[in-house]
Amino acid sequence: MNEPVDVVLVDDHHMFRAGVKASLDARVRVVGEAATVDEAVQVVHDLRPPVVVLDVHLPGGDGGGGAEVVRRCVDVPGTRFLALSVSDAAEDVVAVIRVGARGYVTKAIDATALSDAVLRVAGGDAVFSPRLAGFVLDAFGAAAGDVATGDDELDRLSAREREVMRLIARGYTYREVAGELFISVKTVETHVSAVLRKLQLSNRNELTRWAAARRLL
Amino acid sequence: MTTAPYGATAQAGAPVRVRLPLRRPERGRWFAGVATGLAAHLDLPVGLVRVVLVALVPVAGVGLALYVFWWLTVPVGDPAVAAASGRPSALQRLARRQALRADGRRIPWAELALGALLVVTAGVLVAMRSGARLDAPWALPVLVVLVGVALAWSQLDAVQHGRADGRRISVLRLIGGGLLAAAGVLLIAGQAVGQGVEPMLLVQSGVAALAVLLGVGLVMAPWWVRLVRELGDERAARAREAERADIAAHLHDSVLQTLALIRARADDPADVARMARAQERELREWLYDDRHEPGTSLVGALRAVVAEVEDSRSGPGGEPVAVDVVVVGDRVPEPDTLALLQATREALVNAVVHGRPPVSLYLEVGPQSVEVFVRDRGEGFDLDDVGPDRFGVRESIMGRVRRRGGTARVTSSPERGTEVHLCMPVGGGGSGRGPDEDEEREA
Repeated sequence: MNEPVDVVLVDDHHMFRAGVKASLDARVRVVGEAATVDEAVQVVHDLRPPVVVLDVHLPGGDGGGGAEVVRRCVDVPGTRFLALSVSDAAEDVVAVIRVGARGYVTKAIDATALSDAVLRVAGGDAVFSPRLAGFVLDAFGAAAGDVATGDDELDRLSAREREVMRLIARGYTYREVAGELFISVKTVETHVSAVLRKLQLSNRNELTRWAAARRLL
Repeated sequence: MTTAPYGATAQAGAPVRVRLPLRRPERGRWFAGVATGLAAHLDLPVGLVRVVLVALVPVAGVGLALYVFWWLTVPVGDPAVAAASGRPSALQRLARRQALRADGRRIPWAELALGALLVVTAGVLVAMRSGARLDAPWALPVLVVLVGVALAWSQLDAVQHGRADGRRISVLRLIGGGLLAAAGVLLIAGQAVGQGVEPMLLVQSGVAALAVLLGVGLVMAPWWVRLVRELGDERAARAREAERADIAAHLHDSVLQTLALIRARADDPADVARMARAQERELREWLYDDRHEPGTSLVGALRAVVAEVEDSRSGPGGEPVAVDVVVVGDRVPEPDTLALLQATREALVNAVVHGRPPVSLYLEVGPQSVEVFVRDRGEGFDLDDVGPDRFGVRESIMGRVRRRGGTARVTSSPERGTEVHLCMPVGGGGSGRGPDEDEEREA
């Protein structure tokens, strides 16, 4: 097996950090920890880890939580963020994705799945939980059948991306999605990354409106 | 998931729409934020609103009048924040909201313009002192009065972030504006008196006094308006705080009771897990979600159904099963969706009792139909092997939905588990059903 992936763990609950640290498997190595926004920014700048597992709700800094950490670490190239939260509310999740996190999982996730998610983020792919896929469909108005026709449209999902998102929302793993649509897992990952990019870059009117309804913007 | 909107009309069966209240946002404004606020309120492009306002200016100045009117009467604030705080606080989430992303500092055009105007005024005054003659003797004093009034009124725009700081600045604005206005009024009066004759003096000083009073009144009005507004805000905030304290007390009470129960039944892991799950669900709902008024949200009803199934049913080995719920969209419940919910409940019970976790539930509310997927990872079963006497699947799930014009399909295989797909057409605004939906009904 390859070298383990170095990870910095950011969460303000000591017990939770200890629990995650003990449960991660051999493919992941925790090299640093932080409990506040300022500590996290410091540690990330010092260690420049490939992956940071980041709680959405963090004390300190300007009160911006996990999203603020991501914003203040944009000058560290090669570091990717995986958001982790006990809250699965849309505004918390999408706020941290919009500033550049590569994925989002809830704290209820089991240890193997979390290690998988870390590896996936380290490999440059996006990690979508069913919940996040639901948010995306909601935000892009995909349920109303509003589907992109061109490839380079940022404000709508393509028909294929919508299909992938719906399957993920229904609880399918990437492998199961690939089997259902007769495509490769790699292609599923490409679609998911494209959706993540749209979620981060889109200025879609509907998206801001949806966000406003949940008060995030 | 869609929060019940502020000021939205909840018609039965209508998809939930959001109308933001009228506020003048700080972000994206060009001048006072009137156009931006209107655009957000009416859900129109900002450009269109600006064009209409500008186009209305030549029409007897209606555009300008409207702009000034809204500038004075519409309070500053983020419309989305206002929408959120407009919800009854008993239904709002308790956890602190994420701080909004700070925008780059906007260029203070209003202040710059005011400063330039003051400099010009000062320059003209100096020029007059040194002997230059002006052709329009009224222009300057009127200008001075206008600038003073503008300065005083501009405090309406002051955002009330730093309370003490904001107060001090607003007092400074008031004093500066007052002084300028007074100077302007005196100049006007002096000009009038300077060339007047004796009998006119009385009338003129009367006019001057009236002008001073008017000026003072104009200058003080915004201060008073703001005081009243702040008082109202503070009162509302206090009421909200009290309500939140009640909710917190209720929550702590419920957690405490659950903990006591857990301690009493520590030897029964299934029971403990179930109680912990129920408590987790409740806390999550209170902390991180805005709750729905009962009877206004299909999603709210669905969550209640899931909670009931999680609490009352166990897996094949007697262990509690958590259901992973994902919802897209929301609407006001109606009889058809109620039937769909009942069928969903039966499918969930089947998945929990006979299937294997994780159990996933996906609800999608579209403009023409509501779809539900219930999935478990069990061995699966062949629908044809299930006798017609097995009331569960055939009657309570599929029959219920089909009788109301919906479709129901069960796919099942040993590798992939079982998935129940329910689809119920809904009359969103009375529009007809899509052609492909009729075909699907045969499936």
